[in-house]
Amino acid sequence: MTAANEIIHQTLRLRLMAALTALPPKSEGLDFARLKKLTGATDGNLGAHIAALERADYVTVEKMFVDRKPRTVVKATGTGRKAFAEHVAFLKSIIEQ
Amino acid sequence: MTLTSSQAQASLDDIEQIVRRVKQSALYRNASILLILWGAIVTVGYVGCEVVPRYAATVWLICQAVGLLATIVLSARFARDGEDGIDVRIVGAVLLFFGFGLLWSQVFGQFSPRGLNAFWATLFMFGYALAGIWFGRAFIILGLTVTALTVVGYLWVGTWFNLYMAVVDGGGLMLCGLWMRRA
Repeated sequence: MTAANEIIHQTLRLRLMAALTALPPKSEGLDFARLKKLTGATDGNLGAHIAALERADYVTVEKMFVDRKPRTVVKATGTGRKAFAEHVAFLKSIIEQ
Repeated sequence: MTLTSSQAQASLDDIEQIVRRVKQSALYRNASILLILWGAIVTVGYVGCEVVPRYAATVWLICQAVGLLATIVLSARFARDGEDGIDVRIVGAVLLFFGFGLLWSQVFGQFSPRGLNAFWATLFMFGYALAGIWFGRAFIILGLTVTALTVVGYLWVGTWFNLYMAVVDGGGLMLCGLWMRRA
């Protein structure tokens, strides 16, 4: 049985990784506003959990300006995709027991 | 970390819901570009029919050709950017609709110019409504609303039918596209 990933398993981080890995690896990722809408998180909470995932090398964060407005885009890394897939496998293994 | 079976299931359900919403959002975002494009194209088509009614067939031929080319280019760009391109089955379905439409408009049917415009508009709106069963409610609402408004226009809008359809069909597609961009 695979092991649980304690970094990913927190509710908001699980939703973040689910959202980011739902897109193909070549896609540009999801911006902060869209992630906030998808996860129902507040700005501060979302930022803190994205930072935690970034420290674990599960996501990359790119800040840019579009039409002079700041835009933050988050993308899952290969490491993050693998870790998330392993955690999902762990969850499924619990149900299959 | 120890998890119960119900906790694990709740997490998986949460994941499934998020994934569904992300994929829906991505589909709507790509569809929005195509809807806005086709909304602009059919608007030009209807206005062209109003301005040069003798050349209505040519106007529509050019509009469809431009639309088809732009759709292919955009779809290729979606695929290049790592997005899901247009499923080849959807292309097949669209071609079948075109074929059905051509069969009825050119062989079986006896349409007036007004009837022909109403026929093509409602045929494709039927297609959108059908697509909505798989791809999202917004397509169903688009298809049914524009069809209903087309019927109203066909029956009660006098000589302004083409311009009415430019607003209803073209405008409807563009509005739906703009809404999907924000969804």
